[in-house]
Amino acid sequence: MIRFVLTRLLLLVAGMIVASALIFFALRVLPGDVAQVVAGSNGTPEQVERIREQLGLDRSILAQYADWIGGLLRGDLGASLVTGTPVARELLEKAQVTVPLTLMSLSIALIVSVPLGILSALRRSRPSGAVIGASAQAVAAVPVVWAGMLLVILFSVTLGWLPPQGFPRAGWAEPLSAFRSLLLPAITIGVVEGAVLLRFVRSAVLEATGQDYVRTAAAIGLTRTRALLTHGLPVAALSVVSVLALQVAALLVGAVVVEQLFGLPGIGRMLVADVGNRDLTKVQGEILVLTGVVLVLGALIDIVHRVVDPRHREQR
Amino acid sequence: MRRPARLVAVVVALASALVLAACTAGGGTDNGAGDGTDASVTVGLVLEPTDLDIRATSGAALDQVLIDNVYEGLVSRTADGEIRPSLATTWDISDDGLSYTFHLADGVRFHSGDPMTVDDVVWSLSQVRDNADVVEHAAFANVTGIEATDESTVTLTLSAPDSNLLWNLSSRAGLVLEEDATNDLSTSANGTGPFTLTGWKQGDSITLDRFDDYWGEPAKVSEVVFAYIPDFTAAIGAVIAGDVDVQTAIDPNLRSQLDGVDDVSVVEGRTTDKFTLAFNNKRAPLDDVRVRKALRLAIDHQAIIDATGGAGVEMGGPIPELDPGYEDLTDTRPFDPDQARALLAEAGHPSLSLTLTMPSFYGSTVSNVLVSQFKDVGVTLTVKNVEFATWLNDVYTNKDYDLSFVDHLEARDFGSWANPDYYFGYDNPEVQRLYAESVAAVDTGVAAEKLKEAARIVAEDHAADWLYNGLTLTAIRDGITGFPTDSPNARLDLSELAVS
Amino acid sequence: MAHRAPRAMSARRTPWLRTLLRSPNGLFGVVVAAIVLLAAALSLVWTPYDPVAVDVPGAWRPPGAEHPLGTDNVGRDMLSVLLVGARVTVVVAIGSAIVAAIVGVLLATLGALTARWVREPVAVLIDILVAFPTLLIAMMLAAAFGASLLVVFIAVGIGFGVNMARVTRPEIRRVAQSDFVLAGRAAGLGPLRNITRHVLPNIAPIVIVQLSWAAAVAVLAEAGLSYLGYGAPSTTLSWGRMLADLQGYIGVHPLTVLWPGLAITITVLGLNLLGDGLRDATDPRLARGDSVTRAALTREPVQL
Repeated sequence: MIRFVLTRLLLLVAGMIVASALIFFALRVLPGDVAQVVAGSNGTPEQVERIREQLGLDRSILAQYADWIGGLLRGDLGASLVTGTPVARELLEKAQVTVPLTLMSLSIALIVSVPLGILSALRRSRPSGAVIGASAQAVAAVPVVWAGMLLVILFSVTLGWLPPQGFPRAGWAEPLSAFRSLLLPAITIGVVEGAVLLRFVRSAVLEATGQDYVRTAAAIGLTRTRALLTHGLPVAALSVVSVLALQVAALLVGAVVVEQLFGLPGIGRMLVADVGNRDLTKVQGEILVLTGVVLVLGALIDIVHRVVDPRHREQR
Repeated sequence: MRRPARLVAVVVALASALVLAACTAGGGTDNGAGDGTDASVTVGLVLEPTDLDIRATSGAALDQVLIDNVYEGLVSRTADGEIRPSLATTWDISDDGLSYTFHLADGVRFHSGDPMTVDDVVWSLSQVRDNADVVEHAAFANVTGIEATDESTVTLTLSAPDSNLLWNLSSRAGLVLEEDATNDLSTSANGTGPFTLTGWKQGDSITLDRFDDYWGEPAKVSEVVFAYIPDFTAAIGAVIAGDVDVQTAIDPNLRSQLDGVDDVSVVEGRTTDKFTLAFNNKRAPLDDVRVRKALRLAIDHQAIIDATGGAGVEMGGPIPELDPGYEDLTDTRPFDPDQARALLAEAGHPSLSLTLTMPSFYGSTVSNVLVSQFKDVGVTLTVKNVEFATWLNDVYTNKDYDLSFVDHLEARDFGSWANPDYYFGYDNPEVQRLYAESVAAVDTGVAAEKLKEAARIVAEDHAADWLYNGLTLTAIRDGITGFPTDSPNARLDLSELAVS
Repeated sequence: MAHRAPRAMSARRTPWLRTLLRSPNGLFGVVVAAIVLLAAALSLVWTPYDPVAVDVPGAWRPPGAEHPLGTDNVGRDMLSVLLVGARVTVVVAIGSAIVAAIVGVLLATLGALTARWVREPVAVLIDILVAFPTLLIAMMLAAAFGASLLVVFIAVGIGFGVNMARVTRPEIRRVAQSDFVLAGRAAGLGPLRNITRHVLPNIAPIVIVQLSWAAAVAVLAEAGLSYLGYGAPSTTLSWGRMLADLQGYIGVHPLTVLWPGLAITITVLGLNLLGDGLRDATDPRLARGDSVTRAALTREPVQL
């Protein structure tokens, strides 16, 4: 057991190292020069060159990489090449929008997918089950961009209940306003993701239904539903949770589209802008943190899986 | 027994009076404009500066916020482009144009509290002249001497006349900073203007507060908050919701959404935005004037303006109405697809394939119209959308392009046409001569005439096509006066801003 | 649970097609795919109007006799643009599927059939790569090469391909250890012949099902990526591009976004159901097989 945890953590560290190298070197391939962006369209070649020196971009790639890794080990994500503000500070600030948005979307997705998924599994041979299944299929096929537009047309343009865009400048100091700004975006992501998850919940529950321990429970007198709920669900829940870990990456970054559509000052939007500016230090830091979150979640899920259900073993 | 009670009562009364006073004094900084001089005005802008360093970072986003409001220069300019006094109340120019004497105002203070001395002025100007990294360093190419002739007079000596000098002094080159100040220019600003820079919340807003020790007429509002809303639809939403009092750069296609809003009016303003379709004059077949002319003749300019919502006026040459040397040159390019086809055939290119490289934030409307209009005359246009950083690299620096579309928004930048190394690749010695003569002219009227001549040559050479000169729309809440509606993207002089 | 003997495909080829068309999922999927292909093909020879021709005075016409779906912001006929857009949908769907197939099968094979010192790191690499969101790959590609459809199908292909590899790898491993393959080796078949004769046909159903889902993800991705500016360049007529161009106007002209959005949704739905139908039709017993195979055949939630 301990051995497994240690191996898994080692894998996590290896993953972070590989990720950091991939990110760093991949970014350096991009054309376009941040020094040129800082200098602007009026900059002379000499000014551009001087800015490159100031930013330390004229040193060898390996030296720059070593610097970055050194900083990371000290807990320093570096500073923006364009404005000089610390990357960590920017991330924390924008996280105020993206993290609540992700949590709200996740909650809505779960509220939609879990009860309906279980229901459609239990009623799979009845019309209601089929209807839920078919609706989920249809909603899961909707592009998130379009879903957002439709919701805006309904709730903002026509009904005027919710703001079509933006986040209050005072941020969470105006909690009600901030919540209202995140509601439509969260529903947009949550409903579509929920529809996608619903099918997975359904199949996870179906799989649990067929398991021996559920049939045994049924044999000793529990109704099929009760057997499912007390024995099957925890296992189904585990599979759903493990999928969610992967989904976090999709949600965090899928929020980019929604942040753009709803004009929310979040991490996704900042990432898009930074790539556009070729602000390499910021982009590296942001992508590394996002990848890190996903890798850590993945490792945690694997460990939990192993602890809770020793029958789940990876075939290698 | 009674005395302590009375004492208590007096103390309580005094305390309440103090508290009340404090409350009303602090109330002026609340959002939602108060009235009179306590008002706070929120102005919605589009492009946020990346960095506040007025010396090192170029870009109109900084000029908008800081010039005339926080920093001041020797001179400034009006909406019509006329030079007006600022830190220099009067000035004299010698007859040969080689000596400029500026008489400085009295009692000028920096936001740090220190008085402005003539040494600060000399130091600031010398920085621009001597340091190649300072923005607008090239503006002082002819300035040989910067001297304090007495405690309130500065004299500039030139090696050759420069009719652009006063104009450049009204931009960044003439700004006065404090020599002994040690603040970090990237995140703070210490100037002499009617407002101090009190806050910058990156990705969100910049706040200016009235400077009570301002040497001139104090600002009429106590606070200005610049809110950055890059998304055009969000900007409209902000106006409707009342989150902003003024909003610049209203998207003309969305203008109708503001029609029903009661206390808001939308005002049209002129700009020096030249939406330029550049031709790579050095690359075949664009080095053939017949091909370039044909491309211009194929474009229905009014249709393009209509497609973008009508916020533009036709522009036939490189100089917009607000700049000296303007002439209506639309006769150089009537809309004539038949003639275009004939010219292309004559040039040996009855069917042609060209690539248009443009930054992606301009959207697709203009390019869609161009593709259609060019197809009509046998030109297949492929559009390449790139990020601005890539455009700077590929088009601007490496000149690797056929056609390019970009908004050149700087005023008085005709010099690009006289620069053969500029990305246009346009090299006409006649134009270069006329431009040099214009710069060397001491009389501004003569300078303008030369520019006019040169501009006509550029237009008749069809060195590029100027799709339109942008008009800008500003939404203003009723009761707010004094907001500059011309060229708001280049300069925002808020000294007259008031709430009634 | 004993190893289920892998079945060779050839004996059941015709019956699966019939089963596919008889299931509602499969039928719907095939019909939708056919309509999109036909629309794309038709657009090559005829459209009601020239989709590129602008008519600025005629912008924003509501649906009517002359323009069944109305006109857009520069006066182009929306039906014609929609038809031409189908071409992009087909290209993106097929292109992504091809890239996903190559990446997925290659990685999975490397991670399953090679010597231990190769496959262990590859397996770890796959797990790490899966954490990389497709959007990031697309952003970097677009930044490096400019926005284009190529960006869409390479990014989706890599992103989905890696996912596919993760799920297909254990399946290949299982087949490689099966009796058929061992027997083949004993009979003297070289490893390559062994793979092509036994492994590929047995993972083929899984791969084909996954590719159908990959195509669906690609069409969705095109919408999102074109909206962000990393996908179809501004003058490419694609459904995602239509959404991107018309988004700014939903305050004044809300109904125009209906058509491209519906087109995308129906196509994605069709491709998803086609994948489901293929899965049920190729071998229903596989769907009820061991958990490893079942994982390979459960459509994992992937959105961009």
